[in-house]
Amino acid sequence: MDNLDAARMQMAFTLIFHIVFACIGMVMPFFMVVAHKKWLNTKNPIYLTLTKSWQKGVAIFFVTGAVSGTALSFELGLLWPEFMKHAGPIIGMPFSLEGAAFFVEAIALGFYLYGWNKLPEKFHWFTGVIVGISGVASGILVVSANGWMNAPSGFDYINGEFLNIDPIKALLNPAWFTQALHMTLAAFTATGFAVAGVHAYQVYKKRHIELHKKAFKIAITFGAIAAILQPISGDISAKDIAERQPVKLAAMEAHYHTTQGAPLYIGGIVDDENQKVSYKIEIPKALSFLAFGDFNAEVKGLNDFPEDVRPNVPIVHYAFQTMVGIGSLLLIVGILFFISLKKKSWWKNNTFWLLFTLLAPMGFIALEAGWIVTEVGRQPWIIHNIMKTKDAVTPMPGMIYSFYMYVILYAILTVAVTWLMARQIKSLNTSKLV
Amino acid sequence: MLYVVLFFLMFSLLLYVVLAGADFGAGIVELFSSEKNKQITKKTVYRVMGPVWEANHIWIIIMIVILWVGFPEFYNILVLYLHIPLTLVLLGITLRGVAFVFRHYDAFKDKSQILYDWMFRISSFITPIFLGMTFGAMLSGKIIITDTYENLNFYDIFINPWFNGFSFLVGLFFAALCAFLASILLIGEANDNERPIYVKKSRIANMAVIIIGFITLCYGFLTHNTFVVNFVNNPYAVVLISLSTLLILPLIKSIKAAHKIRTRSFTGIQVVLILMAALVTQYPNLIITSHAEFSIIEAASTEKVIRVLGITLIIGGLVILPGLFHLFKSFKMIKIFEQKA
Repeated sequence: MDNLDAARMQMAFTLIFHIVFACIGMVMPFFMVVAHKKWLNTKNPIYLTLTKSWQKGVAIFFVTGAVSGTALSFELGLLWPEFMKHAGPIIGMPFSLEGAAFFVEAIALGFYLYGWNKLPEKFHWFTGVIVGISGVASGILVVSANGWMNAPSGFDYINGEFLNIDPIKALLNPAWFTQALHMTLAAFTATGFAVAGVHAYQVYKKRHIELHKKAFKIAITFGAIAAILQPISGDISAKDIAERQPVKLAAMEAHYHTTQGAPLYIGGIVDDENQKVSYKIEIPKALSFLAFGDFNAEVKGLNDFPEDVRPNVPIVHYAFQTMVGIGSLLLIVGILFFISLKKKSWWKNNTFWLLFTLLAPMGFIALEAGWIVTEVGRQPWIIHNIMKTKDAVTPMPGMIYSFYMYVILYAILTVAVTWLMARQIKSLNTSKLV
Repeated sequence: MLYVVLFFLMFSLLLYVVLAGADFGAGIVELFSSEKNKQITKKTVYRVMGPVWEANHIWIIIMIVILWVGFPEFYNILVLYLHIPLTLVLLGITLRGVAFVFRHYDAFKDKSQILYDWMFRISSFITPIFLGMTFGAMLSGKIIITDTYENLNFYDIFINPWFNGFSFLVGLFFAALCAFLASILLIGEANDNERPIYVKKSRIANMAVIIIGFITLCYGFLTHNTFVVNFVNNPYAVVLISLSTLLILPLIKSIKAAHKIRTRSFTGIQVVLILMAALVTQYPNLIITSHAEFSIIEAASTEKVIRVLGITLIIGGLVILPGLFHLFKSFKMIKIFEQKA
């Protein structure tokens, strides 16, 4: 593995890790404040127990997300010094605002975690709401910075120099809204299904059924609503990418030859050398319609682009298929959940709980796949059509050792956090309810 | 506007050193305590740091963002040539942060606590050393700025700038400073029969700061370190550092008299004076390379970027500072209520 590959692997690995923790840390506070509100309204002690155990989860995930985020803020420069030298001043705006939002979140979380029985009840609850809102705000701002890499704007690129920098225009780059919307919904879907899955398993195992059912209902409501809304956002994203990054769209669909009325491929095995996709399901003219809202529109194929600006087609295609496939599955299950609210008998059937248990990791798999689509799909560019990733990497040799260090560190952290969560649930189940 | 941005940069640096320094120091104090005192310190540290430690560490992110937005060339030198110590700092910050939370939020208190405790203590000690080594490296005069990496060997470019006697002494100095800050903070938070532990610790830490500081200056002077030579020849720096040293007398008095606020103020002023002395010496040439001094002002972004950054920082500051102040204040007040009850 050469230095560039090692640096890319390290970045990918750190992001894959950080995204999971950041999403949970960003979405779980909402579950927590809903449970907290129900406790305040009903004074049912089950909700208090639930709020307090979720709050521990929030604390653990927040810190893991925060430290891996701190690491990332350094890694951007450590791994890609040439990129940050030029991009830093341009995309500093979302990052400095993100710093502020994150700061607010940390302050609010300090109040929330340590404020039980000390702060006025309503103010205490409200600090929890601020944790959630500022968390989502930080998420949106960071995604906006990523959007800029896909849709660079707010500067003039003249003779290799970045002139007339306009940080606000860079913040509001053409990709920020579609990406931020898609990611926020994805975070709610993934976390909603993951948390619901964990509690569904407890119901399946017949432990503290009343508590876990309440927990399940709160989490899955968020997840299901987000999953149902996601296709709308996906459609906006697809049309946006068709305009701005046609080569990425072509790679997502493994679409090699420019055609009018292009078909949509579902699944299939990509043979990049012979430019063929076998074993796929083909829907005639659907790609043209989805990308441009016209069944006969022309969709550019990969062959229309020089070889050195094409991303890795199989990776992008498989990742895209995974994302859409799981997204559709979660959409259907989300609708089933709302039907189940009318048909109470389903809740007595253990298969129902097994189904949600098995779905627990799915949202996150889809979310990671989606990021692979957008990040690998942007290659070979670090700034789309401006700077190549290979020109941005650090000149320091031996990045592979740094990569190994991060793999070991984050592998240990993943095991540790999973183990801690298992212990939280075990302790919750062995405890008597208040 | 450039000066607003520079003010925020220095302000964040000061707050990071004082607040996060006290955080790191708490782990160092715990590390260098007897077995019984370790457990006492652990409880006190949790009570004192629990609500605020996360916020304390965000100052470094603010610093990093200001640097890369406002002074990209300057930031570029740091991330290129000080890649290794910065990575080690990150490793320390990560392990320390998770250990702190794990040891308090783990549902069962069993043997795993031993692991968290040691992880917390050791990383609390190592992280400020590497951070100090990074600061030391900036002033070591050993950074070689080059475009032709192939002609020079790895050691000279990526290791020697930070892995040398001077940087190491600065690292130790910074760790001692952290321990000093923490023990002073803990004096005010401990209950009456635990207080003598931290009074003793603060004396030891204070002596360590003075002795290591003195050795660092001597070593730098003997090895013709540009920064140290500038430092001893700069009248302002000498006055500031002398003031800081003189403050020790009233400080010891107020520790004895158990004046919480006065003790903390003296300590805070002492640390600020030390930092100011270093800044006065080198500003604006905050990096000394093997053949030149590198000015942070010359590395500044264009006026428009600086203006937007300055405005963002002012707005951010208006939102964050009152909240932060309130956070510190309310938990202090709560503690006072608890003591009364």
